[in-house]
Amino acid sequence: MSTTVILYGTESGNSELVAEDLAADLGGDRDVRVYDMSDFDVADFDTDDFYLVVCSTHGDGELPGGAKPLLEALNSEQPDLSGIRYAVFGLGNSTYETYSQGSEIIDRRFTELGAERVGVYGRHDACDGSLPNDGAVEWARELLVLV
Amino acid sequence: MHRSEVSTATEAATMPAPAAHSIAIVGSGPAGCYVAHFLRKRWPTAEIVIFDRLGLPYGLVRYGVAPDHTGTKAVARQFDRLFEQGGVRFVGGTEIGRHLTVDQLREAFDVVVLATGLSADRPLGIPGATGRPVPVVTTSTGTQPAGATVHGAALSGAALSGVYGSGRLTRLINGHPDENAEGVVFGSRVAIVGQGNVAIDLLRLLLMSPDELRGHGVADEVVNAIAAGPVRHIDIVGRSSLSRAKFDPAMISELAKIPNVRFLADHGELHDADAEPRDLAKRDVLLRLLATASHDADRTDANPGSDRTVRFHFGWVPERLEGAGSVDTLSLRGSVGSDSSLKLAVDSVLTAIGFFEAADAPLRRQSHESPDSDLEIGRLGPGLYCVGWLRRGPQGTIPANRTDAKMVADVIAAAADAGEFFPGKPGFAGLNLLPSDH
Ligand SMILES: Cc1cc2nc3c(=O)[nH]c(=O)nc-3n(C[C@H](O)[C@H](O)[C@H](O)COP(=O)(O)OP(=O)(O)OC[C@H]3O[C@@H](n4cnc5c(N)ncnc54)[C@H](O)[C@@H]3O)c2cc1C
Ligand SMILES: Cc1cc2nc3c(=O)[nH]c(=O)nc-3n(C[C@H](O)[C@H](O)[C@H](O)COP(=O)(O)O)c2cc1C
Repeated sequence: MSTTVILYGTESGNSELVAEDLAADLGGDRDVRVYDMSDFDVADFDTDDFYLVVCSTHGDGELPGGAKPLLEALNSEQPDLSGIRYAVFGLGNSTYETYSQGSEIIDRRFTELGAERVGVYGRHDACDGSLPNDGAVEWARELLVLV
Repeated sequence: MHRSEVSTATEAATMPAPAAHSIAIVGSGPAGCYVAHFLRKRWPTAEIVIFDRLGLPYGLVRYGVAPDHTGTKAVARQFDRLFEQGGVRFVGGTEIGRHLTVDQLREAFDVVVLATGLSADRPLGIPGATGRPVPVVTTSTGTQPAGATVHGAALSGAALSGVYGSGRLTRLINGHPDENAEGVVFGSRVAIVGQGNVAIDLLRLLLMSPDELRGHGVADEVVNAIAAGPVRHIDIVGRSSLSRAKFDPAMISELAKIPNVRFLADHGELHDADAEPRDLAKRDVLLRLLATASHDADRTDANPGSDRTVRFHFGWVPERLEGAGSVDTLSLRGSVGSDSSLKLAVDSVLTAIGFFEAADAPLRRQSHESPDSDLEIGRLGPGLYCVGWLRRGPQGTIPANRTDAKMVADVIAAAADAGEFFPGKPGFAGLNLLPSDH
């Protein structure tokens, strides 16, 4: 059976909570698994599964610490991701000029390796101090009706 | 009802619940809350209690992080969920070392984690200021103030008024219950000593309008103290070269959004030969700030039309404060092998040069260390751990405490797996606290 795999890349933990909320919300209907990007092995990508990427931005438009090992593995191992379908939810803060670019780094690499992004690119803006969780759950529900 | 269901239910009712660990965490700053998060994930049924000396949780997230950085303060919303949904209990108004001892906690809980941070302002340690410099030694776990006991020992000569530590000021600005604005006078010329992000926070807050400050929830008495100056000129001084200054580039680019301020620096201080490539971002962003906000960065008096000035000074060490009762001059000497000196006229001096453990803190890490301790992994003794600034010293951001907390939580779990401690202690109930005790 197809699994929904949630990959989160975080530095201060917000993306982890988003991933957990997504899993709790979607878990009734689907087989859902959640991985910290730091713990995910690129050899485990499976075209049967659907991927939800939840990733923040740090430094100045850079990846959060937790997403760096995955990017490094993608760069060094260059896995063929053709046939992989995924969606992205980016966390950021629009007071930075580099708003939400961390998630875009992962998105670009996935595409370059042959994967196909589907649905609306979800985003959360932390500038008002709100939590991304509710918006992310809504985004995923709408998205997953379509895929 | 099916028979099988009945029997399952009976079985469940008669099976003893598996024993769960009881965990006490001292301090509800990011280090304490992240440890609770990771231990909760590991042991969903453990009893986890976080104690704090204050009535409200989250340490420096609440009382340090600048009030206009709402995005950063939002991590508190993550921690809220621990208490609202994660079954973690918050016991505020309970200072460990005063209301309860660490030993009492260790008797009641299987695991005790100390996460009390470091909150005393490092003194400037020059004539005219209070306190001697805190000797700094580098340990394997980072830079730690060694002889913290010297804190508070006044130098010969009277300490001048008008000198304020960043810890005190950021607590004040964030409404910490132990602080008040009485006697805080900034005047119109302020010097900030220090070139880390906290120094830039202070700079930004001093340049904010009263309405903006109020809009960020800053108390009226504090807004009035800032507005009373009114602050017209700020010198920001550090011993490092620009490329070694500790602030993040993003902190500097944020300054460009403040209206009616002219940013200045001496050209010769902006270029140092040994800059690493990754430090160039810092220089670029500062040069951009100077260029957009000032057309003549070399001259102090080039200022027609804009209200206020900020001058960056790189490579200067504070040498002495002068004044009659209150500080009026900050004397500096060049930090790089020159005998140059500089005198700045000031009404007040704000220090943002770091933190350490106060000698009179009721809970000191040192008194819980033994030959059995391993600070590298946060272990103080059997079932006793430390994390965050208390473990590593006063460096690192909120995310650094998350990494730290994950490491220490893993160490705790490994110790439990190795049989170093077992579930069995009574937990919070074993403290026999009367409601009035805390
Ligand atoms: C002014 C300032 C601004 C900062 N701004 C940022 C920022 O914008 N972004 C960022 O990422 N980082 C920032 N930092 C760094 C960040 O705040 C620290 O990395 C982090 O708070 C350290 O966490 P901690 O849990 O070790 O200590 P703390 O946050 O200090 O928490 C310690 C807690 O322990 C409690 N406590 C102390 N003693 C006792 C006792 N005996 N019994 C019970 N409770 C006790 C305290 O009340 C407090 O709640 C800032 C730091 C400062 C000082
Ligand atoms: C030091 C720091 C730098 C940041 N840099 C950026 C940035 O360049 N662009 C952006 O869109 N958001 C930036 N952010 C905002 C974070 O992406 C946002 O707070 C997010 O919710 C963090 O999610 P996380 O907890 O999963 O890491 C930054 C936050 C911090 C604390």
